[in-house]
Amino acid sequence: MRMSPLSKIIGAVVVGLAGAGLTGSGLESDAADVYLEATRPDVQRIPIGVLGFQDGATAARPGKEAAEVLAADLRRSQMFTVADSSKLGLALTGSAGPDRQKLKQAVESGVKVLVWGTIGTRDPDYLLDRFIYDGGDDGGAGKRYVGPASVLRQMAHRVADELVARYTGEPGIARTRIAYVSEKKGARELFIMDYDGHSSKQITSDGFLNLTPQWSPDRKYLVFTSYQSRTRQNIEIADLATGKRSPLVSLSGLNITPAPSPDGTKLAFATSQDGNSEIYTMDMQTKALQRLTVHSAGDLSPSWAPTGKELAFTSDRGGGPQIYVMSADGSNVRRLTFDGDYNAAPAWSPKGNWIAYVCRSEQRQYKICLISPDGEKRAQITSGQSIDDSPSWSPDGRHLAFSSTAGGKTHVYMVNSDGKELEQLTFSGTHNSMPAWSSVEAPKVESQAAEKK
Amino acid sequence: MSRAYGATGAVVAVGCLLLFAPGCSKSLEGTSGSKTTEQGLAKPAPVTLPGEERVADEIVVAKAEPSSEAAQTSKQRSQEMQMEQTATASAGLADVFFAFDSWQIKDDGKQALSTNGQWLKANAGKSLTIEGHCDERGTQAYNLVLGEKRAKAVRSYLADLGVDTKRLAVASYGKDRPFCREHSEDCYQQNRRGHLVLRVK
Repeated sequence: MRMSPLSKIIGAVVVGLAGAGLTGSGLESDAADVYLEATRPDVQRIPIGVLGFQDGATAARPGKEAAEVLAADLRRSQMFTVADSSKLGLALTGSAGPDRQKLKQAVESGVKVLVWGTIGTRDPDYLLDRFIYDGGDDGGAGKRYVGPASVLRQMAHRVADELVARYTGEPGIARTRIAYVSEKKGARELFIMDYDGHSSKQITSDGFLNLTPQWSPDRKYLVFTSYQSRTRQNIEIADLATGKRSPLVSLSGLNITPAPSPDGTKLAFATSQDGNSEIYTMDMQTKALQRLTVHSAGDLSPSWAPTGKELAFTSDRGGGPQIYVMSADGSNVRRLTFDGDYNAAPAWSPKGNWIAYVCRSEQRQYKICLISPDGEKRAQITSGQSIDDSPSWSPDGRHLAFSSTAGGKTHVYMVNSDGKELEQLTFSGTHNSMPAWSSVEAPKVESQAAEKK
Repeated sequence: MSRAYGATGAVVAVGCLLLFAPGCSKSLEGTSGSKTTEQGLAKPAPVTLPGEERVADEIVVAKAEPSSEAAQTSKQRSQEMQMEQTATASAGLADVFFAFDSWQIKDDGKQALSTNGQWLKANAGKSLTIEGHCDERGTQAYNLVLGEKRAKAVRSYLADLGVDTKRLAVASYGKDRPFCREHSEDCYQQNRRGHLVLRVK
């Protein structure tokens, strides 16, 4: 592994450019809660300038979009504050890169990292050359990304992920996707969009109900509940590359809320084949079932701890729905939430330190809350008059996607895990819900080979 | 189309980067002969040179085929639902309404079910689907379970009246097939229901 230049950056003066403002909807971020300190990222943000991508030789002029995508990614990463590049005096002109002396001055004045590039063509591809200057000896080192015009945004996302990895050692999330449910002619169909809400693609087209999607850890499959008929619901698996669908769980009754284990070997889900909803796991190889809960109340929405050793779930065994935790074999059941009379839809964070869920506030609003797995720390991270639902963590554990009725219609939003920087992701249609965030890609061999050269 | 090309190019290029195989330089030369394209004869194959990184759509998404059982078109389904609606209305079957977060059958619900029960006894050949529905408050997932509890409460009340449960299928739609779409208590009340549907086949 290369040494992270982070040590050089940490301790630098952090320019207080807070991220994007709140959206104009009725949904508000709640940053006042003292407990939220604990959810804040512990890394100081690095001031960065995106100088742009020169594209004069490219008919479609993709440079502006690429720079906007990159700047938005960097801001969302919570690792950087993106400086206003127009105020840096480093406008790109002609085909020459920025003036070396001015780069040095900008870095000395506090904008620690500067990134710019060029976009050209080599039919049928775009060639995106990116350059980074951070005052180091390898200043201005270039790297070239190639790809067809259809992946321009992905190329910009790739640069963002590279910068996040370079300065933090963590993989970026700019090329993750979010699966969600959207209303289509009265039906509920599955869609997948980029993590920033772009490039939405329809997956199912049954004309009926498809609900509760989740990703396989390798991001190749979606598992979800599909209404085979109006009285029968199966859990199905869809191969995203081929579009092939097959039933996974076809027990009698309601089969809902599938959740692949972190290692992909098991599927936890809820079924009402025993009369009331109970949580089972299925071995993905042998298809053997194991019943985890035995209770006359409704148990549903299993969510795996990243270790795969425990599951959080919703149960109304105490009257109203509450969050419980159990071992992966169903033993050691303990109630986790005690505040309020409605807590449901748990989502265990990828780092293991929080469980996000839907809580009913004192104002009887359905909000997103966090609780530590030991139950000692709790925070409400959304507020306002709306029904918020289905929290799903980004793979870096720094964001949550969720649905909200804040604007009158139901849409998918993203918020930092400290309740800040709320961003609306879907805008079309009347109902977009049940977001499920994909994992981050596995590190690719080819990019390492290219880095080492 | 171009995506498929991209993927192929990436595979070739990755192989070259990893192996530095002698055959690779040949294939690169071969594919970089883009002169034909400039003359408009063929689209050139994408090339990835050493030191470059090809960016591909990491998650290739194909539209999923409709599931086999659900392959009955939505048109057929909506026709069937229309027929059921008409049959249910002419039979005079009444729905059962619930309180917020509750699946207890209230007095007006018992009254409706007693009328429904008499009709079912008089029409022994007929079968019902009991749909459980919820208002928009609360989570989608929990409302699926709540809707099922409501449907099963209706079924068990009818069973107590002597109706054979084999004639009573249950389904839950949670809050995902609402009758009313306003954000008001009046609307919520209509959506918290056990909806009786007379089956037509």
